[in-house]
Amino acid sequence: MVVEILVAVSIITISILVSMAVAQKSVYVSRQAFHTTQAAFLLEEGAEDARIARDNAWSNVATLNSSEQIGIFTRTVIASSVNRDNTTKDISSTGTNDPGTKLITITVSWLEGGVTISKALQFYIMDIFS
Amino acid sequence: MTLISNKKKNGYAVLELLFYIASFAIFSLIVINAMITMSRSFRETAIQAEFVQSGTIMERISREIRQANDINSIGINDLVLNTGVNETMEFKFAGSDIQLWDTGSNIGNLNSPSIAVTNLVFTSITTAKSKVVKIVLSIKSNNDKLNRTVDFYDTIVLRGSY
Repeated sequence: MVVEILVAVSIITISILVSMAVAQKSVYVSRQAFHTTQAAFLLEEGAEDARIARDNAWSNVATLNSSEQIGIFTRTVIASSVNRDNTTKDISSTGTNDPGTKLITITVSWLEGGVTISKALQFYIMDIFS
Repeated sequence: MTLISNKKKNGYAVLELLFYIASFAIFSLIVINAMITMSRSFRETAIQAEFVQSGTIMERISREIRQANDINSIGINDLVLNTGVNETMEFKFAGSDIQLWDTGSNIGNLNSPSIAVTNLVFTSITTAKSKVVKIVLSIKSNNDKLNRTVDFYDTIVLRGSY
């Protein structure tokens, strides 16, 4: 009798505990989804910032190298030089450095329940005004 | 002797009863705690979903700004964009809502009724070649008992301003 009750009670308790864990996980996931939405706008803003730098003066773009804290998010912007193939003139890892093209890498990272989550955006920007 | 043994067979020992009552108490505590946690989680998930949905407000504003030709007027809480010949698009922060005005007529609120906008700030930046609007949007959920405010940040270059 006691054993049956013990087994029944433990099965019910475990199933309730599991559903509680699922509910808490769902909160974690939905928070993460919201932070990802916020991070997407921060990435977009970083990309537009690079464009603003280009629109003011091309020399600003090469020196883009910043890291800032916005609430729980950390945004870093890095401009790196781009090489072009000597014959095809396509962007390539080897070849000659093209001073009129830069590769911008924007990274937004934040802490989510002790784990660092990072989203990155990479694009090329070109000197079209000079 | 027979009487005593019969009593023992039919009834519960105090220790047995204690065990049942204790296990029932622990069990009900776990169940009640689980119920409270689950209802809280459900509410929190719903609030987070409302926050995610509010991202569409920022999405709409940023898309309109990107497509615009020029800034007609810009105030801290009010932005009028030139979107075509005699066409304007206006975002107005009124009370706890963001109103969308298309060429002078109010289309409606961008935020859902359960979302209260606590702040909306437009800042204009002029570069050598283009015009830029920086947007800061703060919202909170009317269902949130903790009254948390969350922020969205974005900066958009008007593609029509080149």
